[in-house]
Parts: sequence; structure tokens; C-alpha cells
Amino acid sequence: MSAKFRMGTDLAKYIQELGYRNELGYQTFLYSNDADIRKVFMFIVDKLPKETVEAQEETLGASILLQRAIASTLARQLSSPWAPSYLKENGITWRGIPPCWQREGASSLCHFHSCRITKPFRTGDITKKIPKELRFYYTKILPVVTNQTLQHNDTAPSVIEENAIEYTQQQEWESEWNQSGLGSRLSEEEYRARKKERIKKKITDQLRQDRQRGGTTAGSSLSLDLQQMISSISGRASTTTKTKGSRFTHTEKLLFAKDEEKVISEVGTGEGPRTKTEEELQKEREVEVGDLREELNNLVSRLESVDMDMRKFTAGIQQMEEEIGNQGRINKEKEEGFIVKKRTLDLLPDAENNITKLQAVVDNSGQRLINLANQWEKHRAPLIEQYRDLKDLTSKKESEAHKMLEEIKEFRKKMKEVADEARNKEELQKQLTSEYERMTKDVNRLAYTKRITEIVANIKKQKKEIDKVLVDTRAVQKEINQLSGKLDRQFTVTDELIFRDAKKDEAVKKAYRYLAALHENCELLIKTVEETGLIMREIRELEDQIESESHKKVLSNLEKISADFQQMKKENAAMLAKLKGKS
Amino acid sequence: MELGQCTLEGLALAGDAAHIPDKIFQPFITRACDGVLDVRSRDAIAKDSSFQSVDLAVLKEAYAAVVTLLLEAAKNDVDSNSISSVLEDCKFTSDRIDIFSKLYKDRKPYLQILLGRIGDSCPHIVDVDWRMDYYIKNNHLEKVNQAVYLITLKTEVPGQKDFKEVQFSCTQEQLQDLVGKLRDATKSMEKASQL
Amino acid sequence: MLLMFDDKQKTHLSFLLKVDIGVVQEFCRLSFEFLRKGSNPKVYQGAAQKLGVELESVQNGVEGLMYLFTESSKFMISEIDFQDSIMTLGFSEELRHSLLQMYMKNRNEVREILSEMSMDLPHYHNLEWRLDVELASRTLRHQTTPTVLLKLHTKENSKMSTQVLQTDPINLLHLTKVLEQALQEMKSPYCRRIVRNIK
Repeated sequence: MSAKFRMGTDLAKYIQELGYRNELGYQTFLYSNDADIRKVFMFIVDKLPKETVEAQEETLGASILLQRAIASTLARQLSSPWAPSYLKENGITWRGIPPCWQREGASSLCHFHSCRITKPFRTGDITKKIPKELRFYYTKILPVVTNQTLQHNDTAPSVIEENAIEYTQQQEWESEWNQSGLGSRLSEEEYRARKKERIKKKITDQLRQDRQRGGTTAGSSLSLDLQQMISSISGRASTTTKTKGSRFTHTEKLLFAKDEEKVISEVGTGEGPRTKTEEELQKEREVEVGDLREELNNLVSRLESVDMDMRKFTAGIQQMEEEIGNQGRINKEKEEGFIVKKRTLDLLPDAENNITKLQAVVDNSGQRLINLANQWEKHRAPLIEQYRDLKDLTSKKESEAHKMLEEIKEFRKKMKEVADEARNKEELQKQLTSEYERMTKDVNRLAYTKRITEIVANIKKQKKEIDKVLVDTRAVQKEINQLSGKLDRQFTVTDELIFRDAKKDEAVKKAYRYLAALHENCELLIKTVEETGLIMREIRELEDQIESESHKKVLSNLEKISADFQQMKKENAAMLAKLKGKS
Repeated sequence: MELGQCTLEGLALAGDAAHIPDKIFQPFITRACDGVLDVRSRDAIAKDSSFQSVDLAVLKEAYAAVVTLLLEAAKNDVDSNSISSVLEDCKFTSDRIDIFSKLYKDRKPYLQILLGRIGDSCPHIVDVDWRMDYYIKNNHLEKVNQAVYLITLKTEVPGQKDFKEVQFSCTQEQLQDLVGKLRDATKSMEKASQL
Repeated sequence: MLLMFDDKQKTHLSFLLKVDIGVVQEFCRLSFEFLRKGSNPKVYQGAAQKLGVELESVQNGVEGLMYLFTESSKFMISEIDFQDSIMTLGFSEELRHSLLQMYMKNRNEVREILSEMSMDLPHYHNLEWRLDVELASRTLRHQTTPTVLLKLHTKENSKMSTQVLQTDPINLLHLTKVLEQALQEMKSPYCRRIVRNIK
């Protein structure tokens, strides 16, 4: 019960905070009546945010627009007159206002067929010179874009395809550069070169492996391996830029020329036994194939042995060269030793003198060494200092660069996001404008004004009627007044006349008395009638009041209230009991 | 609309008065449109003497870029406003943008006809001939006495100038059935058009 | 119109004069069955044994009946003409009556079999249609091109073939209109007169 009450008061508070003017409290919700609740709802519905409605329209917008476009095309086509096909150029007719084209035939259709086209690149850039030969090719030989394909029909597909290729390449490169290129901290060219190197190495490795395997195993497996490897390479190459791919396939072809021949011969023999038309020929072939295979094996083994020999020889050469170097070194050392020994032998005859001289020389050298060491120390200290400083600086710079890189990455991401958003917004704007153009703008207003004028006219009519009723009432009142005046006057005249006669005649006296009684009674009657009217009016008012009160469902509300009251009492009692139990 | 870097650079060349002077800008764009649309003028720009003042390599690059832009724009049904924003990015002056937009607006339907032509379709019915015979008898049966229609549908096949004819016969009841189904199709199309 | 029989046929059919009417009815039944499914020599043999006559005469009798029925069906011979034609064969009243009944009962079926044998052109069997709207293609991204796909089933000697065709709304309207006119043509006074006169 208390929860209900709290809920009601909260609701009332919120609604009043929203700016609801009329009287509002918990009772409005707990003991509701239609009119009040209706008012509250109207107010709340008015306050409902309108964006939700718009959003719904937006989501519907695109499909509705499409449907409308389809419907209008259909309507236009259905309403346009038929013409035999020889009156149409390529089956195209122009119909509708403004004229729109529509195709009514299929003879002009052609397949999407694109060829590679070449466009001059960076011819206007002065900073980067293009090679003279290329420029010559561009100016003199290369035909214009629209004249490069064999069929003119292929021009448009080729141009579109070229653009698509370029765009995808760019995107691919950008994503790769963002993912791994930026992190490697290489320049673009270096990155590309390194990647190229890596792929090249992979290919040569694989080629070598396959060749070694190919020598020992059968040809069919070799051809299978070959295919697998080519497909794996091409798969990988396709993720790199296209120009590279073509170069690879080229080198690949060159490298494989020999192997492929082998494969072809093998495949040819493989097909031999399948055709069982002329057995002799086949046998001959088999024999020949056997011979050839043997010869091949021989050749291969010879090749291998020769290869081995060659390797051995080269290894021998290297060893020999090393030995020669070693010997030369030993020779030099020995020569030096010989010179020293010879000098000392020369000095031997004048030993005393020479010893002192040598001593002096040694002393001098020691002195000089110390001097030099001192000097070295002097130079060294600042240099070391400088070295440390520089080291710090570089590390700082490095971390800064790292930060910048991160920032750049983020910026790129943001840039993309913003661009996407802008694109989306633009789409939306276009859609909305088209919808706005579609909307008939004045319909609503017109309807409203029409309704308002109608209402005003109605009110005027009602007013006229009320006026009429008022005039009627007034006329009736006037008549009443007149009649009562007349009655009054008549009565006084009669009264006087009879009064005068009454003195003379006893009968007249009686008549006078009757008259007075009659008058009195009549007045009483009139008063009663008036009173009845008043009461009737009151009754009617009361009835109205009763009706309005009964609309408010007082009785049921009262019942509800009393029930709630009972419940509250019970709850209170329970709480009291609890309290007592606790204390 | 998505354009490659190469095309954008080419467009910048086309918009640069130092490379393509103002005087020949309009003929230049017109030639590009014609070169795409018309077989006869596919090489016209190379033969036109009014472009002698321009370096041929630059001219070819700019031409390729303009052709690409025209085709891409028509492909994506881009309106003149969006195309002018692209051109603004390529540093076109407002005069040039106006010239370009106007030419593009005029030629767009033709470009779209050209692009719409690329595709495939089943044989396309363009006309129908009919002949009514009264089938009287044959070598096995006399007094057949029945109306027989011989119907020839003339269809166009992609890439062929001549009609391919589809011929079949039908009795009155069968024709009734055929017409009923065709009428059904027409009705439902009319319904779809009143959405 | 009367059917004419040459002497050989007459002698073949005269065999029927010698047997019971029940046997003739059985022969008739056989001849219709053979028309439907092709002849079966074993049946001839059985019948010949049962009747104690030569196989050849049974066969001739049945084949004669087959001829009689196919020829009269081919020309759509009326009741009276049929009776008159077989009158020359010297059949009894009762036999003629039962032959006539057989003929009338099976005439339509025999005509159907004959019409199946006659020359046939590829003729209309069924048509299915579907409304498509092309919304985008590789080279034109925003478009609304309505097309109507039609699948035409034709039949030639119980061999069905299908063709898929397409058209646009304008041509579809035209097609419908022209074929409606063709259909209407059948009700024109001229055509009616011809139909009435060729009977």
C-alpha cells in the first residue's frame, strides 16, 4: 500500500517537474477518473521526444524510396507508346517529362570485357624527372585512353576496371602499411624492397627444394608439387602489389622452363597407356619412354655427380686459399722476428754504450707515454661526457618518435572514421533532401486551417441560435410583464368600481369579497408556478452535478479508499505488533 | 565514388591553367565525352590541332583522368554537386567546375546508356507476328476443323543485329491460356506501378 | 458419304457372317484394343483354336473390322451413312446394330489416336512469368530497369522443350494486345462464316 502511495506521489512529482500545470497528486493515479487521466496523457504524449518517430521513418526511407522509384519507372514505361524496334536506335527510347531513357531491346548489349590500358603517370610533376625514353613513349607512341582497346565497346569497362584496380591496390597498400609498415620504421621504398627480397628468397628456396625432390621422385608428383607451389606463390603474390606479381610470374616462368619441359614429357608418357588403339605403337612408345627415362636418370645422376665434384672442387679451392693466407701471415711474422733479431745482433759489439743509449730511449719513451696518457685523459673526459649526453638524447628522441608513430596511427584511424562518417552523413542528407522534395508541404496546414474555419463557422452558428433563444426569452418576459401590468390595472379598476358599488348593495359587497379572494388566490398560484420553475431548474442543475460526480466514480473510489484505509490500518497494526515484539 | 591516386593527379593536371589553358578547357572536356561515347571520335583528341600547345604526355594523362572521372561518376549516378566537390579537391577554379558540371549533366544520360548496355540478357521479345490457319484435314484424319494459330516471337539477342525468331503453334484454347497469363502479368505490373 | 470396300475386304469380313454375334462383339473389342495398343498374334491363335477355324481367317476378320472402324472414324461418317455402308456386306440387322453401337462409342477415341499420328508442330504448352527489376550492374550502380522473364514450355510429339525469354513492360503490353486481337479475330463475322461453311 505504501509502495503504491509512494509510486503515485513520485509519478506526480515527475510530471509536475515536466511542467504540468493542472492539479496533480497521488490520488490522480490511485483513484483515477477518465478526464484527469486523459489530460495527463495528452500532456505526456505532447512531451514525447519526436526523434524516435523520425528515426523510424529514416530506416524505412531507403526501401520506400526504392519502391517508389520502381513504381514510377513502371508507370512511365506502361504509359509510353510502343514502337517497332527498327524505329529505335539501339533499342533506346526517350519518354516521360523530363525525358528519361529506357532500353526496349537487347541487341545492343555487349559483355563486360576489359583489357589492360596504360595511362601516362606524373608527367606534369617537375620535381621528379621521368626517363627520356618513357617520355618519348608517352608523347609519340602511346595512343589516348579511348583508343587503346581493340573494340570501342571495351573502352568503358577497361577504364572502370583500371580505376578499380588502382583503388584497391591503394587501399591494400594503405592497410598493410598501417598494420605492419609503420611499425617497422622503414621508409616506404625500403619496406617494399625488403618485402620483395623476402618473397624472392622464399620462391628460390622452394624452387631448390622442388628440384632436389624432382630428381629422385616420379615426375607426376613433381608436376603436382609444381602446381601446388605456383598456386601458393600466386596466392601470396596476389596480396602484394600487382606489378610485383607479374614480375614474379615472369621470373618464375624463366626458372621453370626446363622443369616444365620435363613435366610435359612425363605427362605425355602418362597418357600413352591410356590410348589403347594401337598396341605396337604403344609398346614402342613404352620402350622408348623407358629408354628415355633411363637416359634421363643417367643424365640426372651424372649431373648430380658433376655437381658434387664441382662443389668439392670449390671447397678445395677455398681451403687452399685459406692455407695460402695462413702461410703468408706466418711468413710475415717470421720476417719481422728476423729483423728484430738482426738489429739486436748489430748492437751487440758496442754493448755498454748501446745499453745506456737504449736505457735513455726507454726512459724517454716512458716519459712520453705518461705525457700521452695525461693528454688522453684530458681529452677523454669531455668526450665521454658528450657521448653520454648524446646517448640520452637519442633515447629520448626514440621514445618521442615512438609516441609520434602511435599518434600518427591514431590519426589515420580517426581520419578514416571521420571520412566514413562524412560519407554516411552525406548519403543521409541526400536521402532526406529527396524525401523532403517529395513531401507535399502545404497539405497539413491547409487541412488545419480548413478545420479551424469550420469550427469558427460552427461557433458562429451556435451563437446565432443562442441569440435567437435569448430574444425569445426576452419577448416572453416582456409579454409576461405586460400581462401582469394589465392585470394590475384591471384589478385596481375593478376593485374601485366594485368597492364603490359595494357600499350600496349587499350582493356587490359579497362579490367584492370574492374578487379579493380570487385575486389573492391567483397571486398565490402564480407564485407557486414560479417557485416550481425555480425548483425545476435547481433539480436540473443538481442532476447535472450528479452526473459529473458520477463520472468521477466517487463511489467506487470511495470503496477503494476505504479498502486502502483498512489495509493501511492492518499494516500499521502489524508494524506496531512487530515493534512491540522487538522491544 | 572512388578514384585512384593516378586519376586524382591527372585531374589536377586538367584543372591547372598552366597545363590546359582556359581557352581550350571546354573543347578538351567535350572531346573526352565524345571519345567515350562515339566510336568515330575515339581518337579525335590526338588529331585535333587546337591542343598543339599542350605537352602531349600531359594531355594524355589529363585526358585519361577526365575519362575515368566521367565514367565513374556516371556509373555511380553522381549528381553535379558531388562532382564539383571532387573537382574542388583537385583545385579546379569555379569557372571550370561550372563548365565541367554542365557538360557532365548534359552527357550523363548518354554515358549511362553506354554503361547500361554492358551486360547480358536472355532473348528479348520486341515484337510478335501471328497467323491464323483453319486446320481442315491431314493424311490420317479428316474434318479436323479447328483454328490453329502460328505465333512468331521476334527476339533480340545480345550482340546480334538480326532477330532470332521463336515459333510455335497453338489452338484457340491454348492461345486463350497464353493471353490469360500475359494479361495476368500486365495486371500485376500495373498494380506494382501504383504503389 | 459411303464407305467403299474392295472384294478382298469383303471376303475378309464375310467370315463374320459365319460366327455368333457374341464372337463378333468379342472381335470388335479386340480390334479396338489393338488400335489402342497394337496387335497381338497370340490372341489370334487362342481365338482360332477356340473357334476351330484357321488362324488367318480370324486375323483377317479382326483386321477387317479395324479397317472399317478407322476409316469410318477418319471421315467422321454419320450414323446413317455407317449403317448404309455396312449394308452391302450382308450383315444381319442385329449385327449391324451392335457394330453401329461399337462405332459410336469408340469413334472419338479412335479419332484421338489418329490425331496423335498426324503431323505436329511445336505447340504451346505452358507459360511462366516473373517480374524482375534490375537495380544495379557492374557498370551502372543505380538503376531501376524492370524486366519480365518468361519461361515458355512448348511440346512437339510429347517432347517438351523450354525457352527462357525476357521482355520489358512496353513490349509486354504490346504482345498482350496483339495476341488478344488475334484471339478476338476468331469471333469476327468473317471467321464465323468460314467455320460455319466448312463442315
